[in-house]
Amino acid sequence: MKKIIASILFTVLLITCVGCGSSNTGTPEADTKPEETQEAESNTADDAVNEETDSKENTAAADITTDRQGNEITLPEQIERVMVAGPSNAEILVGLGYGDKIVAADVYSGNVEGLDGDLPMFDMTAPDVEKILQVEPDVIFVTGMVQSAGEDVYKPFKDAGVCVIYIPSSNSIAGIKEDIRYIAGVMGDAAKSDEIIQEMDQEIDAIRAIGETITDKKKVYFEIAAAPNMYSFGDGVFLNEMIEIIGAENILKNENEWITVAEEAVVAGNPDVILTSVNYIDNPVDEIKGRAGWDVITAVKDDAVYYIDTDASNNPSQNIVKALKEMAENIYPDKY
Amino acid sequence: MKRKITISIIISILTLLFAVALGSVYVSPMDILRIIGSKLFHSPLPETVSDTNISIIWNLRLPRSLVAFVIGGMISVSGVIMQSVLKNPLASSYTLGVSSGASLGAGFVILFGFSLPLMGGFSLPVMGFVFGLGTMLLGISFAGRLDKGFENNTIILTGMVISLFVNAIVTLMSAVKREQMQRLIYWQMGSFSAQDWKNLFILLPIAAVGILLVFHYHRELDMLTFGEEQAKTMGVNTKLVKWILLIAAAALTGSAISFVGVIGFVDLVAPHVVRKIFGSSHRYVIPMSALLGGVFMVICDLVSRTVITNQEIPVGAVTALIGAPFFAYIFFSKRERG
Repeated sequence: MKKIIASILFTVLLITCVGCGSSNTGTPEADTKPEETQEAESNTADDAVNEETDSKENTAAADITTDRQGNEITLPEQIERVMVAGPSNAEILVGLGYGDKIVAADVYSGNVEGLDGDLPMFDMTAPDVEKILQVEPDVIFVTGMVQSAGEDVYKPFKDAGVCVIYIPSSNSIAGIKEDIRYIAGVMGDAAKSDEIIQEMDQEIDAIRAIGETITDKKKVYFEIAAAPNMYSFGDGVFLNEMIEIIGAENILKNENEWITVAEEAVVAGNPDVILTSVNYIDNPVDEIKGRAGWDVITAVKDDAVYYIDTDASNNPSQNIVKALKEMAENIYPDKY
Repeated sequence: MKRKITISIIISILTLLFAVALGSVYVSPMDILRIIGSKLFHSPLPETVSDTNISIIWNLRLPRSLVAFVIGGMISVSGVIMQSVLKNPLASSYTLGVSSGASLGAGFVILFGFSLPLMGGFSLPVMGFVFGLGTMLLGISFAGRLDKGFENNTIILTGMVISLFVNAIVTLMSAVKREQMQRLIYWQMGSFSAQDWKNLFILLPIAAVGILLVFHYHRELDMLTFGEEQAKTMGVNTKLVKWILLIAAAALTGSAISFVGVIGFVDLVAPHVVRKIFGSSHRYVIPMSALLGGVFMVICDLVSRTVITNQEIPVGAVTALIGAPFFAYIFFSKRERG
C-alpha cells in the first residue's frame, strides 16, 4: 500500500519537480526538470570535481554532494521546509536560527526548546510517509540513531524525491562541530555556524584551562540507563572526551564506545563521582545510592551522585556545553 | 541412584563456588573463603581484604548466583510439571501464556510508569507475577469451559491462543510507547544484574512451598504420565490434580521471571537431562530438576557476565544459545536409542 502511494506521489512529484532525488540513480527525473534545476545539477557536478581539493570543513551549499554518511545527494535549490528526525539535528537547526523552517519533527525532538509545539510529530524509526509528504519537506535530516533499525525506513521519501540527509551520531566534539557546520552549509551558509562553534570553543576552552591544572583526577562513572541493564560508555564517545576536558577520568575509559556494564566493574572501579542522565525513573540518584553493595563506592559514601540533563548530555549538538558545565560543577564544585 | 544424587549435589556446590569465584574483577579464592567465613561465622577478616572486594563477593556475586540457582530450579520444576501433566515434551509455562502475561504486567510498569501503592519498588515483580498467573488461569479456565474433559490439547491450544492475544496487546503498548520500548525488550531478555539478598529471601520461601507442593503429588504425576484413563481408574481426581499442578507450576515460573525477566529453555533442558539420568519417576525428577536447573542457570549467568570483561550480555540469549543445541542433542539422542 505504502509503495503504491509512494509511487503515485513519485509521479506527481516528477511533474511538479519538487524533490531533489539521488543524483547517481539516473532516474528519468532529470529530463523533466525545468532548466534552472538542471543548471543547478550541472553546477553541483562541476563542484563535485572541486570538492576533492576543498577540505570538508569548507562546505558551502553548492559544494555539498554527499551527506555526512557519504551517500550522494543533490540539494534542492531552495530549502524552505525542513523535517528533522533526531533531537540533535533539531537542536542544531534551532541553534543556527532555522527553527522556523522546521515543518515536521520526530517525537524525541518534541522537547527541543524553540521548536513549535504544534508541529506534526512522527515516529523516528517508523515515519508515517503519507502524513509527512503532505507537509512537503524539501529536505529531511535523519540522525544515525535510526540506522540501528536495519533497513532504510527513509527510502520511501527518497523515492518520492525528497532529499534525505543522514547525519550519523557523532562520537567526538570535533565531529559535532563538523555536523553543525555541515547543516549550516546545507541550509545555505556554512559561515552561519561560526558563531555557535566559536561560542562552543570558548566555553570548552575555559573549562579545559581549569581541567588541565587538575593533577589529582577524580574517577567518574556516567550512567545512561539504570539497573538492571546499566548502560555506560568508554573511549570513543563525546561524553568520555568531556569527562577528560573537565580534568577527570572515566572508570571505563579502557572500554570501547557504548557498553552494558557489569555491576562489579563499577564497584571495583570505585568512582569518586557518579553521574546519571537517566530520566525515565522517578529518582535516578536515590536508585543508584540504594543499590545493594554500592555503599562501599566512594561516590555513594560521599553523596556525590548527580543528575545531568538528559537531552543536553545525550544529544550530540552545541547543547553538550550545557551538560559539560553541569558535569564540571558537580565533579569539582570547588574549581568550577 | 544414591551415587548419582551425591554427584549432582557436589556438582551444584562446585558450580556455585565457581560462579562466586569468577567475574570481571579478580578476587583470590582465599579471600573469597575468608569473606564468606567472616560473614557467616563472624570470624575476623584481615586488613588486606578491601571493602570493595567484600562488597563484590558478598553483596553482588553471592546473592546473584544464589538467585540464579533458585530461579533455575523453580523454572525447571515448573517445566517438569507442565511436560508431565500435559504429556508434551515441549510444553512449558510459556506455552500457556505465563511469559506473555508477565510481559504485559511488566509493560504497564515499564512503559506507562504504573506503580503499585505501598510497594512501589516491587511493582514490577508483583505486576509480572499477577498478570503471568492471571493470563494462564484465564487460558485454562477457558479450556475447562470449552472442554468438559479438560483434554491436554485443548489446554495447550487455548493457552497458545491467549498467549498470542496477550502478546499482541504488549506489541500494541510498545508501539504506543516507543521511547520506553527498549527497556521492555531488555527486561524480556532477562538479567540477574542487581539482584540482592532481599530478592533471594522473597524467592526462597516461594520456591520451597511451590516445589514441596508439587513434590507432594509425585505419585499422581507418575500415574498421569501413563495416561489419564489409567490415572482415573487408579482413583486420581485428574481434573483437580491437573488444576492444582498447572497453577503451582505457573506460579513458580511466574514469580521467578517477574524478578529477572523472561528466561527460556531452562525448563526444557534441565527436565530432559534429568529424565535421561534419573529415569522418569517424579520422586527423583522433581528434586533433581530443581538442582540441575539451578546449576544450568548459574552457568548461563556466569557466561553472561564473564564472556566479555566488564560487560554483560542478556542471560536469556545465553540460555537459548547453549540450551537450544543442547536440547536438540538430548532430545534426539534419546529417540535414537528408543
